[in-house]
Amino acid sequence: MHRDRAIWASLAVLGLTFAAYMLRETGGNGWMPGCVFKKVTGFECPGCGMTRGTYALLHGRVGEAFGFNPVGMVLLPLAMIGLGIEVIGWVRGKPLPFRLNPGRWGATVIAVVMIAWWVGRNVV
Amino acid sequence: MICTHMSWYYSKNGTQLGPVTEEELKAKASSGEVIAADLIWREGMSDWKPYGQVAEFQGIGMVSPPPASGTMGSVSIPQPSAYPAAYAQQVPNYLWQSIVATVLCCMPFGVVAIVFAAKVDGLVARGDIAGANAASKSAKTWVTVAVGCWLAVVAIYAVVVLIAIIGGAVN
Repeated sequence: MHRDRAIWASLAVLGLTFAAYMLRETGGNGWMPGCVFKKVTGFECPGCGMTRGTYALLHGRVGEAFGFNPVGMVLLPLAMIGLGIEVIGWVRGKPLPFRLNPGRWGATVIAVVMIAWWVGRNVV
Repeated sequence: MICTHMSWYYSKNGTQLGPVTEEELKAKASSGEVIAADLIWREGMSDWKPYGQVAEFQGIGMVSPPPASGTMGSVSIPQPSAYPAAYAQQVPNYLWQSIVATVLCCMPFGVVAIVFAAKVDGLVARGDIAGANAASKSAKTWVTVAVGCWLAVVAIYAVVVLIAIIGGAVN
């Protein structure tokens, strides 16, 4: 158990919770910078729509949330759980005996889906 | 090495054993009970590592084959097939970090990180540990670039908003 790491992890959780609360109340308007990639290139990035999607999700509109960014809406919670397990191990100073690991093929599928999604949403 | 009180854990066939002292672990390696591919860990290490890759134990015990086993040849260089299943977890793949960086930071650099991250476990399975380490390092670098760019954007944005607020107050 590392106290400094526990403090950092707690701050991150607090920050995320606060950001989620602010997003729920304001919709992100006026205080979130928005996607720079989209502003500069005009193309959407793989994460575009996540702010609107999370806003919809925080208001219980699941279908609408998936409409903004279906790939991100599936992968982000998975990644958060996977990362959470690693962070707990990091705070403990000793990795947990289990991990959320999609394996070599799962990881490849995720990479292919992410690139296809990125290209696809800009072409279609 | 002065720190003889250090407690080492080691793993045989997926079972965690120990703690033992550094001397005991060296003795086990010399007798062939612990081989180069066996995973060891102590407080402070970020993850389990194969015995043969830990600096403290370089050259100790790894040249003599286990006396009790009937297999032939040296075990100094572990064969890919000899890696325990847990070995795949020794090289961090940064996949989840890459996904979070891509989706939340809104930075296409995250996609580059995902591509490298996806290669790590496959390279480990093929026994290409050097390649896996290189891919792991690249994935980490691109995650850092994506998050760094995002933080820079947030910082610049905050300054612009602040200037606008001050400007509004002055006018």
